[in-house]
Amino acid sequence: MLTMFLTFVKVGLFSFGGGYAILAMLQQEIVVKHGWLTASEFTDVVAISQMTPGPIAINAATFIGFKTHGILGSVLCTFGVILAPLCLMLILTHTYIKLQQKEWFKNLFKSLRLLSVGLIAAAMVLIGKSAFPDLFSVGVFVVCFLIIWRWKVNPIYMLLGVAAFGMVFG
Amino acid sequence: MILWQLFISFLKIGAFTLGGGIAMIPIMRREVVEKHKWLTDMDFLDGVAAAQSSPGPIAINMSIYVGYRIKGIPGMLVSVLGSVLPSFTSIIIIASLFTRYAQEPLVRKAFHALEPAVVSLIAWPLIQISQKVGLNWRNFWIPLLALVSVAFIGISPMYVIIICIALTLIISQIKEKRGKN
Repeated sequence: MLTMFLTFVKVGLFSFGGGYAILAMLQQEIVVKHGWLTASEFTDVVAISQMTPGPIAINAATFIGFKTHGILGSVLCTFGVILAPLCLMLILTHTYIKLQQKEWFKNLFKSLRLLSVGLIAAAMVLIGKSAFPDLFSVGVFVVCFLIIWRWKVNPIYMLLGVAAFGMVFG
Repeated sequence: MILWQLFISFLKIGAFTLGGGIAMIPIMRREVVEKHKWLTDMDFLDGVAAAQSSPGPIAINMSIYVGYRIKGIPGMLVSVLGSVLPSFTSIIIIASLFTRYAQEPLVRKAFHALEPAVVSLIAWPLIQISQKVGLNWRNFWIPLLALVSVAFIGISPMYVIIICIALTLIISQIKEKRGKN
């Protein structure tokens, strides 16, 4: 359980770029390194996170903690994931105005933002690896992408629709 | 009293940040700036910028910032608790159902369809974000290198981030020195 706590502290510390950018790191730590979830279970957690309130890192931490060690595990993992942001954000609250004017600080976030594009793409590839076992999945992907692109539907409604569609035709 | 109000406000904000991230900024602004007048618009925007710079989910970072600005450490703890609680309880409920019913054929069918849908949900913001960060042929190698090393070589994103931070700081130093000479 301590390993798990420390893993989530680590994930919290390196979760730059928010939401999707940290999926790749979560996937590597949880699926590849520790095997706490299988690849497709991990994708299921991402789908569930999209349909429930709250940031994906928190949702994943709560879910994995609960699955492996019950309520206590979920409290510990959730606390772990917000520990580093808590400390760093406290420092930033005091120093941000000053730091903002420094050239190196601006450059740092310019390159971290660029980096997060790559990390999101990596997450897509890693999740995509297990998400397409058959042609049906490819069809769902194409249709969903077109729907988001064309009509910018709320992801929650789309996922609910997809779940219902899967139950009937899957 | 103000602690209780903070808790309730962030509970509300936490409950409505479906899909997470930047989407909850307007909701939070309405509570914090317009309704309760805890912060001015300028202070709030500074917080948004700081929250995006710090690691961790933006929603959580914002509740740390706002809670701390209004009532110090106790304020911070209360607002973080409020914003985490809705996601925590809903995941606990779903996780306990999921472990019980995950193997049901109907549930499997639903998730079989959901998995590729999740990929499409990542693909779309990816396109939007790459336009926003000013991607061009001169800096294209940064995300590309990150993608290849994480997704295909299997290097941990942690190292990629550390290397990126170190390189940027070194390059900034060199540029600054050159500028002075």
